[in-house]
Amino acid sequence: MSETTSETGELTFTRIFNAPREVVFRCMIEPEHLTHFWGPTGVSTPIENIKIDPRPGGVFETVMVNDADGAEYASRGVFVEVVEPERLVWKEASIDMTTTSTFVDLGDGRTEVHIVQSNVPEHFSSAESQAGFLSSLDRFEAHLATL
Amino acid sequence: MAVIEQDLDATFAALADPTRRAILARLAEGEATVNELAEPFDLALQTVSKHIKVLEHCGLISRGRHAQFRPCRLEPQALDRAVEWIERWRQIWTDRFDQLDRHLRDIRPDGTDRQPDGTDGRPDINDRPTNDNEGHTS
Repeated sequence: MSETTSETGELTFTRIFNAPREVVFRCMIEPEHLTHFWGPTGVSTPIENIKIDPRPGGVFETVMVNDADGAEYASRGVFVEVVEPERLVWKEASIDMTTTSTFVDLGDGRTEVHIVQSNVPEHFSSAESQAGFLSSLDRFEAHLATL
Repeated sequence: MAVIEQDLDATFAALADPTRRAILARLAEGEATVNELAEPFDLALQTVSKHIKVLEHCGLISRGRHAQFRPCRLEPQALDRAVEWIERWRQIWTDRFDQLDRHLRDIRPDGTDRQPDGTDGRPDINDRPTNDNEGHTS
């Protein structure tokens, strides 16, 4: 509770996939793969709604469609960095958010993917690491629950 | 939407400070005056007052109007919005990872080369492996 850190604050999501790095990487940059998993539960991303040009300055645009009511969610990103098959960085200007995907070859046919969202929101990213932030919130919420 | 994001900026900025989080934790136990809040910290009253102003500004706390000491009170719904925002993204990536995991199994059912992709937006349920209730890989 007492420590502060100058480390960049960000949201981090990690998952290990049972597939080689090249395959997992391709899934993140090819519409015919993205369409299968990009929309969260209850939301689809039709293949024709995905525009992706994986090179620095290239677009990454999607329109997700709510399965229930047809509501559309557009997202417009631009690639900042593309290092096949290791790293993808894109930036969404409208929400001032940068997403960095890192693909780690675990050497046994599996791949670890890290998604890091930074600049989210502005002040938060320069403030404190997510771990410290979230655990504080967790403790805080747990405490509230006891009242 | 833009207004909400602005509110969130202020909320996250307020929460980024450990002293302010400690103040909120204390207020979760009940109302307190500035003097009472300052007690556990080795800080000048003025400094604590400044922290309280920040928390009040973004709506995380409110202050009583009547009494001389104007006790501070937690306003948890402001925090709820910040937590909701984080949870929304956590849910999106959890769903994407779950679906990508299934998709990877669909395109490489025998663990070797990938097969030509289906043309519809969703994997055919019949192509999925039979052990659908196995846990995730991480």
